[in-house]
Amino acid sequence: MLPTTQGAPTHKNHILTSHGRPPWYGPDGLPIHNAFVIGIAGGSASGKTYVAEKIIQSLQSLPSILILSQDSFYKKHNEQELALAFSNEYDFDHPSSIDMELFAQCLKDLKEYKQTHIPIYSFVHHQRLPETKYLYGASVIIVEGIMTLLDPALRDLYDLKIFVQCDSDLMLARRLRRDIQQRGRSVDDVLKQYLRFVKPAFDNFVGPSAKYADVIIPGAANTVAIDLVVNHIRRKLAERHASFRSELSRAQPAIEQGWDAEVSKWPGVVLLRQTPQLKGIHTILRDETTSREDFIFFADRLATLVVECGMDLLPYVPHSVQTPTDAIAHGLKLTAHVCGVSIIRAGGPLQAGLQRVLRDVPLGALLIQSDPSTGEPLLLHTSLPCYILHREQAKDTWVFLLDSQIGTGAAALMAIRVLLDHGVQEEHIIFLTFLISQQGGPNVLRKAFPGVRIVTSAVDELLLMAWSDVDWETGERRRVWKIVPGMGHIGDRYYL
Amino acid sequence: MTTRERIASQTSPAELPPNVVTLPQTAQLEALYTIIRDKDTKRGDFIFYTDRIIRLLVEEGLNHLPVVPKTVITPTGEKYDGVGFKGRICGVSILRAGEAMEAGLREVCRSVRIGKILIQRDEETAEAKLFYSKLPDDIANRYVLLLDPMLATGGSAIKAVEVLQQAGVPEERIIFINLVASPEGINAFCMKHPTTRVITGWIDRGLNEKAYIVPGLGDFGERRYTC
Repeated sequence: MLPTTQGAPTHKNHILTSHGRPPWYGPDGLPIHNAFVIGIAGGSASGKTYVAEKIIQSLQSLPSILILSQDSFYKKHNEQELALAFSNEYDFDHPSSIDMELFAQCLKDLKEYKQTHIPIYSFVHHQRLPETKYLYGASVIIVEGIMTLLDPALRDLYDLKIFVQCDSDLMLARRLRRDIQQRGRSVDDVLKQYLRFVKPAFDNFVGPSAKYADVIIPGAANTVAIDLVVNHIRRKLAERHASFRSELSRAQPAIEQGWDAEVSKWPGVVLLRQTPQLKGIHTILRDETTSREDFIFFADRLATLVVECGMDLLPYVPHSVQTPTDAIAHGLKLTAHVCGVSIIRAGGPLQAGLQRVLRDVPLGALLIQSDPSTGEPLLLHTSLPCYILHREQAKDTWVFLLDSQIGTGAAALMAIRVLLDHGVQEEHIIFLTFLISQQGGPNVLRKAFPGVRIVTSAVDELLLMAWSDVDWETGERRRVWKIVPGMGHIGDRYYL
Repeated sequence: MTTRERIASQTSPAELPPNVVTLPQTAQLEALYTIIRDKDTKRGDFIFYTDRIIRLLVEEGLNHLPVVPKTVITPTGEKYDGVGFKGRICGVSILRAGEAMEAGLREVCRSVRIGKILIQRDEETAEAKLFYSKLPDDIANRYVLLLDPMLATGGSAIKAVEVLQQAGVPEERIIFINLVASPEGINAFCMKHPTTRVITGWIDRGLNEKAYIVPGLGDFGERRYTC
C-alpha cells in the first residue's frame, strides 16, 4: 500500500522556514516573480524523497520551502472503492486515483503566492478526510510523487522537472525491505501488490513520463547529479533576489510630484480630531519620563479612540428597529465581516483597543522583523483570522491592520502584501496607528497600495536614520529609523 | 442618501443652544445607537454598546476642560510641544441610571472620585426632589462631570445642578453628560443653567405623552440593570 515513502513525514506538506521569508514583492507592492516549483517524479522507492531532502539540505540558507506530496491528492472514494481499498484490491498506482485537477489548482495557488487548502488523505481510513490543510508562503515548492510529471496542467507549473531513474530490481528490493521491516507486511503480500499494480503502473505511466523531465537523476550514487541540480536552483533563485534588495527599506522622499505636501491631507489618510485631550494624551505618551503604568493606560485610551475613528470607515446600511417605547428608529447597521491583524509587538496596544470596541473580533498576528544584515523585513510568523484563511470569504472581509507607528513602511508593506495574497481587497484594509511621519512610510504605502487607508492620531515631521544598540547575537549595531519627535520604541515602552 | 441627510431627519432642532455639544454624528455612531435602541437587543449587548458610547461621551466631555502648554522631551531626545491637563475633576452620577456610566468614566479617568445624588419625583408636588447626596469633600475645587444617561424633561438634571451649586460648584464648572436628549429637555435645562456644558450623544425627536423620549431606547436603568 502507498504511501511509497515514509522517509521524513514531518517534512511533507509543511512550510519549512529557517530564518524568515524575505520580501517576495517589489517596492511597488507587486510580487516580482512566482514561487520556484520543482517537480520530482520516479518509480515507487526510486529515491524521490531522498533527492528532495538533499535539495532542501543544500538550500538551507533559503527560507520557506515546501514539499508537496502527491499522496495528499488521492480521490475521495465511494463505498465500492472503499471496500476494494480495504481488501488491497484498489489500484492506487493508476493515474485515475489522483485528483489531478485539484492538485494542479492547489499548486497554481501556491506558485502564485496565494494561500491554498490541500486535502488530507488518511491511509488508515483509505479516505480523504473532511478537514483540509492551509498552506501559504513558500518561495520554493518541491512536488513529489510517482505521477507528478504525468499531468500537463501540473507540468506547466514546474520551473524544473526531475525524474529519478532507478533500476526496477533495486526499487523492488527497497520496497520489500521497507514494507516488511517498517509496515509488518508479508513477502507474498508485497510481491502480489507489486506485480498487480506497482509494476504495470510504472511500465505504462510513470516510466514513460521521464521524457518530460529536464533532468534525469540516478536513483543511487547521485551526489554529483544532486549537486549540479542544486547549483542550478541556487543560481535561479539568486537571479530573482538581486532585483529588489537594494530598493527596499529606504526612507523615501517626502514629496512626490503632484502630491499635497501635507500627509494628513491625502485622501487615504484620516487624522483624528486634534482635541485638547488627544494632545494631552500625546504629551504623556511622548514624555520620556512617563511611568510604564501611565504609558500603558494612556496608550490603551488612545488606541480606543483610534479604533472608534477607524470604525467609521466600515460599510453601513440603513436599518430600522423598534424601540421599547414602541417607536420606530431609522438607523444604520454594520454589514461586513471585520477582523484585526496586528503586527507583533507594537500592534499590541491597538489590539487591546480593538477588543474594547469589537469584543469578539477575530484577531490575527504577523511577526515581522528586520534582517540585521540587510535591513530587509522578514516574515517570521503568520497566523490569520478565520475570515481571511479562505479566499472566498477574504474578498468580502474588512481588515484593521494594527501597528503603533509606521516608520519606513517596510513591515506595513509586507503585512498588506500578505493580506492581498489571501484575497483581501485593498480598499478593505484600514491601517490603524498612533503615529506616522511626513516622510517615509506613508509615501511607500501610498505608492504601492493607494486603496489602503491609514487612520492615525498624529503626523510627525521627520524620519531619521540612527544606529541601534549593539545586537546581543551579532555584536553589531543595526541601522534603524525613528520618527522625530516620536514616542520612542512603543513596543518596549508598552511591554518591557 | 448620505449619512448626514439621514441624521438630519432624526435630529431636531437645527440650532442648538451654544453650550450644547453632540458627538460627531458619524455612521458608526448611528449604528451604535441602532443597536441600543432595538428592543430585541440583549442585556449583555446593551451594556457593551452603551459603554462604548459612554466612553466617547466622557472623552468629548474632557475636551472641555482647560489645558496648559507643556513641553516634554521624547525618548528620541527631541522636544515635543504638547499640553498638560489642568484642574482636578470628579464625577457625580444621578441614581440610578447614572451609575451605569461610572465604569465608562473610570475607564477613561483612572480612579476618579465619584459622588452620587438621588433625585425622585415628589408624588405630592410632582416636582423633582433631592432624596440623597454624597459628594466629595473638596468638590467645590473640582470640575464636575455630571452623569445621567437620558435627558427627557430635564427635571432631575436641573435639580442636580442646583445641588452641586449649593455644594459650592459654579454651574460653568459642570459638564453634563448624557446619551440621548430630547429637544424639550435641552431647552428646559439650558434656560435654567445656561453656562453648564451639555454633552449629548444623540438628540431625538421629542417626548411622548408619558414623557418618554421617542424613539429613545426605553428605560435605561432597567435595560442595563434589571432585565
